[in-house]
Amino acid sequence: MSKVIFSSWAGKVVDNRGLHPNEYASAEDLRLPLQYNGHRVTAFMSWNGLVVADDKVDIVDMAHTYLKEVQKLSCGECSVGYLGIKIMLGILAGIANGKGSDEDIKLLRWLGAGVKENARCDFCPSAITPVLDTLNYYKEEYVKPIASRKGRAKSTYMTRVTAPCMEVCPAHQDIPGYIELIRNRRYKEALELIRKTNCLPRITGRACVAFCEANCTRNEIDSPVAIRALKRFAADCETDSGLEPTFDKVKAGKPRVAVIGAGPAGLAASYNLALMGYKVTIYDELPAAGGMALVGIPPYRLPRGILERESDIIRRLGVKIKLNTKLGRDITLEQLSADGFKAIFIATGAHLGREFDIQNWRQGYAGLADGVEFLRDVNLGKKIEAKDRAIIVGGGNVAIDCARTCLRLGFKDVTIVYRRSRVEMPGRAEEVGPAEKEGVRIHFLATPVRVLTEGDKVIGAECIRMELGEPDASGRRRPIPVEGSEFVLPADMIISAIGEAPDLSFLAEGQPIETTEQGTIRVDQLSYQTSQVGVFSGGDCVTGPATLIEAIAAGNRVARSVDQYLASGRIVQYEEDTAKSLTHDIGLWRQRREGIIAKSSRQSPEQLQPSDRVLSFDEVESCLTAEAAVKEAERCLRCYRVMLLAVELVKEGEADG
Amino acid sequence: MVRLTIDNQIVEAEEGSTIFDATSKIGIYIPALCYHESLSPGGSCRLCVVEIIANGTSDLMAACTYPAEEGLEVRTNSEKVVKARRLAMELLLAQRPHSARLQELARELGIDKTSFTMKEQECILCGLCVRTCREIVGVDAINFIAQGIGRDNEEPSIEVSLVKCIGCDSCAYICPTDAIAVEDVGDTRILTTPSGKLEFKLKRCNTCGKYWAPEKQLDYIIEKVDLASDAFDNCPDCRD
Repeated sequence: MSKVIFSSWAGKVVDNRGLHPNEYASAEDLRLPLQYNGHRVTAFMSWNGLVVADDKVDIVDMAHTYLKEVQKLSCGECSVGYLGIKIMLGILAGIANGKGSDEDIKLLRWLGAGVKENARCDFCPSAITPVLDTLNYYKEEYVKPIASRKGRAKSTYMTRVTAPCMEVCPAHQDIPGYIELIRNRRYKEALELIRKTNCLPRITGRACVAFCEANCTRNEIDSPVAIRALKRFAADCETDSGLEPTFDKVKAGKPRVAVIGAGPAGLAASYNLALMGYKVTIYDELPAAGGMALVGIPPYRLPRGILERESDIIRRLGVKIKLNTKLGRDITLEQLSADGFKAIFIATGAHLGREFDIQNWRQGYAGLADGVEFLRDVNLGKKIEAKDRAIIVGGGNVAIDCARTCLRLGFKDVTIVYRRSRVEMPGRAEEVGPAEKEGVRIHFLATPVRVLTEGDKVIGAECIRMELGEPDASGRRRPIPVEGSEFVLPADMIISAIGEAPDLSFLAEGQPIETTEQGTIRVDQLSYQTSQVGVFSGGDCVTGPATLIEAIAAGNRVARSVDQYLASGRIVQYEEDTAKSLTHDIGLWRQRREGIIAKSSRQSPEQLQPSDRVLSFDEVESCLTAEAAVKEAERCLRCYRVMLLAVELVKEGEADG
Repeated sequence: MVRLTIDNQIVEAEEGSTIFDATSKIGIYIPALCYHESLSPGGSCRLCVVEIIANGTSDLMAACTYPAEEGLEVRTNSEKVVKARRLAMELLLAQRPHSARLQELARELGIDKTSFTMKEQECILCGLCVRTCREIVGVDAINFIAQGIGRDNEEPSIEVSLVKCIGCDSCAYICPTDAIAVEDVGDTRILTTPSGKLEFKLKRCNTCGKYWAPEKQLDYIIEKVDLASDAFDNCPDCRD
């Protein structure tokens, strides 16, 4: 909570005007930081209200500046929202410059209320709220310049725009922005906008976990906007029309940077660095680019040609990709430095299966496999002979992918054995559901304890039933074996998919790069620099197994860190970090206006029938049609949130706020 | 079929239809500028607003886009509706006071002048031309310039693509505010639009020698309906 002169945040008015600061009532629901990027916040305006911390701020000028930012984001297609705000801007500018008339306040009120009530989408009505608050609670600030016919000194402002979907996206993509472009049939521009923060739109358009959709405002009304499918639509439009992306010419001549790993993080960093003019070489131990997207995501979710296309675009920017080259085996960090690379980015992912420790596991029996290795082998084209029955141990996405892959290889009977229940399953429901439809069986609350063998072959697993106890460190209920509940599951193959970890064996020979207790590379949270200066790391090898979009976001940020490091030797705070904490503190999801929003059904891309899917590795989901994509784009409520902070530079010696 | 109440009358409407469709069915007049029965709804003029009452709350919604839902209560002429229409009308009139169509609509609503002053702009961004070009002509040459983060665009507008435009003048025909005008001068058609002037070469009739239609439009029709390449050598008056 904050102690401020005035707040109407979230509709709760706290008015301390005329009181001594010691007597201020605090605004309970408001947690507004009074410092922002080295500046003191004197006032704040956004969709949910008005906050004044220092009465020096000129309310009228602030309302004008705020509304100008709003106007840039309004779709401009509705008479009331666009024209209403346009006229309000003219009136506000007049008053702020000492040219207002008595009639103006009445007109502003009328217009503001009209915008709130009758604009087409939800953006202008929510955005106008704090301007109406200035009229309701700071009317005298309007009356004064109108009466004196004098303007006041202008303040300095900072703005930030976000939306619930953008805020949870690790790469902070302008999601309402590209949806709007798709709605206006500007598909090429939509893709250009996507590429500003996400260089792998074809891949993420298919396989992103879509945190954005989970946070879409439409969840409370009907179902979320199909954001991922829209991204794929924009990307596939480019492919289908035979177009190639165009990029602004960059001034070359910047230093050389080595990137270890051609996965999403490595590709994203390379893409950004190449656009900045750096000469980038990527080294990867695999025979093709893509990292975990290549060897971890099966072709029925992400066809191979897609990966090639995305990495080709990055190659065309001048990035060299050297394949079949492993750090620690074929190259070393010292060698790279000696070869003239001025910065190194380690993005080697998490490709090591977690050790499965049950009786007979590591004894060389035929028919035992590690999930990550199994997927890698299949995805790289190794022939695997299908048998009758497969057991997959684990409940994550790797386990699901292994199971669905086994079906496609021709296994007749595929069972996942998971030690907890469906609720605790880390595998995403949108993967688990299709897997079950295809015929995968899931044995909940059980785990193998011993591999059963005959000769040198696996014939099954002895399992034990589990029950759930108290929650463990992960917050999920701990599975406890039920004594005497052992049973046998016959199998010709058992795949362990109980987790992945980074393979950091390249650090073995006394490298100065520190690691964590979790077996990941330790980096500085801000800069992504490791304990060795000039060596950066990000993606799964830092976080442990995470998502595509988190890896891409890490790559984007590493590129900026490397650029700052090579340009000036120091890395400064990212504005988006402070901004993120600002939006978090003020509570992005709450909104004062709750009008009626018509329900509309989500457009879903076509899918192969489950019975056909298992016959091949063909892509299950197709692309939205143009008609469906535009219809889906029309469902976006444009929940942009414009935030305006009136600020003053903090003078030396008073940085305590 | 869904059943809803409009101005205290129970009305049956087809699933997937809009409030506007339902009111037309029972003869309730709703003013509208950006609505056209042959086009998808735009929801942008805000003149067709009605009051919707659902789940204990009331809100203004455009009749042309809001779906007819089971159990919905609609008021087409409440005080709230009348006030909202007045503001929308006055705003449109302020932007384009010299449009005969807007003046006519204003008279219908009992408004003789606007309370606002602003620089006159011919295009009021109703989107009728955008939808006509896309849905009727099938060319999709007109589009809104999208707003958005980092675009720093304070003045939204429409943009006509010279590459795509065939010079057919359907946009000029549908435009309610004369923001798009067409003029044939000798062998040239000049299309004046908010994003600039476009010129098209006109086809000369083999028989009477009259310049009668843009070559680009005729080529488009020939290709679209698969006609012989000489199908338009003569103007309609000189064809047998």
